[in-house]
Amino acid sequence: MAQIAIGIDLGTSNSCVAVSRHARVDVLPNAFGESTTASVVNIAADGSITVGNAAKANIIHDPKHTISSAKRLIGRYFFSEEVKKARAICSYDIVEGDNHSVRIKVREEVFSLPEISAMVLREMKSIAEARLGQPVSKAVVTVPAFFNDNQRQATKDAARIAGLEVLRILNEPTAAALAYGFGRGLNQRVAVYDLGGGTFDISILEIGDDVFEVLATSGDTFLGGDDFDDRVIDLLADHFLSNHKINLRQDRFALEKLKVAAEEAKKALSLEPTVEIRIPDVATTPSGETLSIEYTLTEREFNTLVADLMQRTFKVCDEALQQAGMVARDLDGVILVGGPTRLGTVRSGVREYFQMEPRTDVDPDEVVAMGAAIHAASLLDQGGEAFLLDVTPLSLQIGVAGGLTEPVIERNTPVPIEQTRTFTTFNDYQESVSIRVYQGESRESSENEMLGHFEFGGFRKGRRGEVEIDVTFEINTDGIVNVTARDRATGEAASTRITLSSGLSESEISSIMDRGVADRVATAKLPDPGESQDELIPVTQPTTTQRSAPAREKPQARPATAPPQAPRPAAAPAAPRPPAAPPRPAAAPPAPTPPPARAAKPVPEPIAEDDLQIITAVELGDAGIAAPGEGKELSDELDLADIEGLESDGQAEPLFDEPGTDLADDEVS
Amino acid sequence: MAEPLAPTEIRALARLLGEMNYYELLHLRPDAGSADVKRAYHATTRVFHPDANRALEPELQEAVRRIAMRVSEAYSVLRDPRRRRAYDLRLSEDGRIRMQLAEASNEAGRRDASERGGRTREGQRFYKMAMADLKRHDYAAAARNLQTALTFEPDNALFREQLAAARSKGV
Repeated sequence: MAQIAIGIDLGTSNSCVAVSRHARVDVLPNAFGESTTASVVNIAADGSITVGNAAKANIIHDPKHTISSAKRLIGRYFFSEEVKKARAICSYDIVEGDNHSVRIKVREEVFSLPEISAMVLREMKSIAEARLGQPVSKAVVTVPAFFNDNQRQATKDAARIAGLEVLRILNEPTAAALAYGFGRGLNQRVAVYDLGGGTFDISILEIGDDVFEVLATSGDTFLGGDDFDDRVIDLLADHFLSNHKINLRQDRFALEKLKVAAEEAKKALSLEPTVEIRIPDVATTPSGETLSIEYTLTEREFNTLVADLMQRTFKVCDEALQQAGMVARDLDGVILVGGPTRLGTVRSGVREYFQMEPRTDVDPDEVVAMGAAIHAASLLDQGGEAFLLDVTPLSLQIGVAGGLTEPVIERNTPVPIEQTRTFTTFNDYQESVSIRVYQGESRESSENEMLGHFEFGGFRKGRRGEVEIDVTFEINTDGIVNVTARDRATGEAASTRITLSSGLSESEISSIMDRGVADRVATAKLPDPGESQDELIPVTQPTTTQRSAPAREKPQARPATAPPQAPRPAAAPAAPRPPAAPPRPAAAPPAPTPPPARAAKPVPEPIAEDDLQIITAVELGDAGIAAPGEGKELSDELDLADIEGLESDGQAEPLFDEPGTDLADDEVS
Repeated sequence: MAEPLAPTEIRALARLLGEMNYYELLHLRPDAGSADVKRAYHATTRVFHPDANRALEPELQEAVRRIAMRVSEAYSVLRDPRRRRAYDLRLSEDGRIRMQLAEASNEAGRRDASERGGRTREGQRFYKMAMADLKRHDYAAAARNLQTALTFEPDNALFREQLAAARSKGV
């Protein structure tokens, strides 16, 4: 059977899988005929794992064991703002793991974020395998363009745990542009406005023949459809509080009901100017009387609630356009990506900001997976059908004295790229130098994201300033950072110890894979697996026809009455779901799943000709990390601002001069 | 689609990376305009992008990867007029063929700023005071003045650099 590679859009709220074969791209629907699958994981008491809408149905009656929006937490430190916020609102237990990592505790089990995402990815893989009737082991997985190195690496780890070889970590807006422009012989400058469940990205691209060049990208990984829902939740909770003096925010069950109702109401407002929100039996008074919520939300009121969120997206757009050296009228088109872009307020806001009608001929929920599928197919062949020239979204910086950072690779630099900086020893016979690597745009190290603390040793020892070490920072086409070091005089590779990152170590990954966590995902079988031999069964309309249908007329439209007490049926998404879900054998792997989840071996990093040691951020040490601001143990750390005498060798960075002296003389004398 | 490269060509080019300046790498004349630079980047990328060379043996893939990274670097410098000026100057002065991106930006920023010691009247004023502070080794005062200067010109690389220097000496 011919090899196949799929494209997976791993979303905050929903995920989508697609395949490109024989010059056509198909979205592969799940067993319920839905083209997207909720990125929600439920872990049952017997340890079996369910993913998708079936898992989402558990949010209300089993919130502690149902994990949603894990993408908001992946690759983040436990002390980060986003994690603090999630701990306040999430119904599942978020705990701290080694190296300030985030873990999720379900009953007696503790999972890392890559494991949770791996469960979703495994589900998507299984859906593809069921639809294609053959095993799938290779994929292109998309991430928000604004994801930093930690988040990308963690996503890549997730795919490996799910049993997928990652051909490429691809930026979502770039994938969307590819799906939009591939094979159409366009010559255009476009903006991709990508408002997802939890993240916002804007990319400005130039599409010409076979080249898709990203000119600039910007984003906000704290802004998405979830935040729109939160505004509705706040509205309902405040309203209820003033009417009944009961704070629903303190009741996890009530809060989950509000969440579901808010999301449904938001979706309904994409289609209707008003929506009736009804949440029966949301609370009980001390006297035993049950209370309900009934609220009529108008589009106008909703638009007011989210107006500032819309403005935040446009601020990010300003920044991207500025970085691309353009103004809105230089663009030939605007492509909308992500479910929330169906909202009237988003469409009209985008229309007004860019002064043009946004493109709606590509389904905003499917376009990213389709682009990923096109790229996957092209990488599986020789590549070369379309070149994606992407950029790094965030500046790569190194820590210097005084809690400051210095840029090494600025944001919006095309990748792959490498830059070398020369370091020297600060003390006589120093045994190692240590370098802290950050991503972000601030001068203050504490305001940037810490990627790693690299310690280089094993070089020749000498008097202070004698030993020079070239440290090379490389960003590859996945947007992932590698750091290598070499003694300049001898050309010898310095040994390295990485003491910090928020991901998983190589040994942790293999132990997770040995435990077969992803194998516990029980995927619903296709209604009639017999038919699914080699050809795709278009359970929904073929994607090609869907693409031309305006998104607002999509069949998923449904009334937004909030679900009553019972888990899900009342609010069940309409059409394609079969009357009853097929039986879910606990823990038993689904029939079409190919055997070992561990098929994909970690691909060893290529070793450079000159035998540099290449270190990936994934190989973490076990040592604790230094939180930003806490740097006392770094006594033999290279103090960049104090290094002298490097100017003469011609390669020294401006950083190493004594900036105070010569210029000061000029100025003052 | 571009012709695939012969292994001997790849090896030869990877070896020559240390000797080719950015113009030579992208097959550009020194007076090439910005549209030419972009065209050359796209053309070169079609040949050297890692995606187009996935079938090569690992050693050649590694060589191609290094060429591709240098092509990105060349493009990043030549497409930015300020960096390109700094690079041209360096190239004509001592013939060094590579310039780190941050260095090119800093150099450009330094020249811009040293021409005027800041863009804004307030920036210039506080910068001048800071330089006087440095002269008499009052690093704390210099840092304060530079910080104030930065509030008027938050992206002034020279101000930042001086601030970092003043702070490191002050402690």
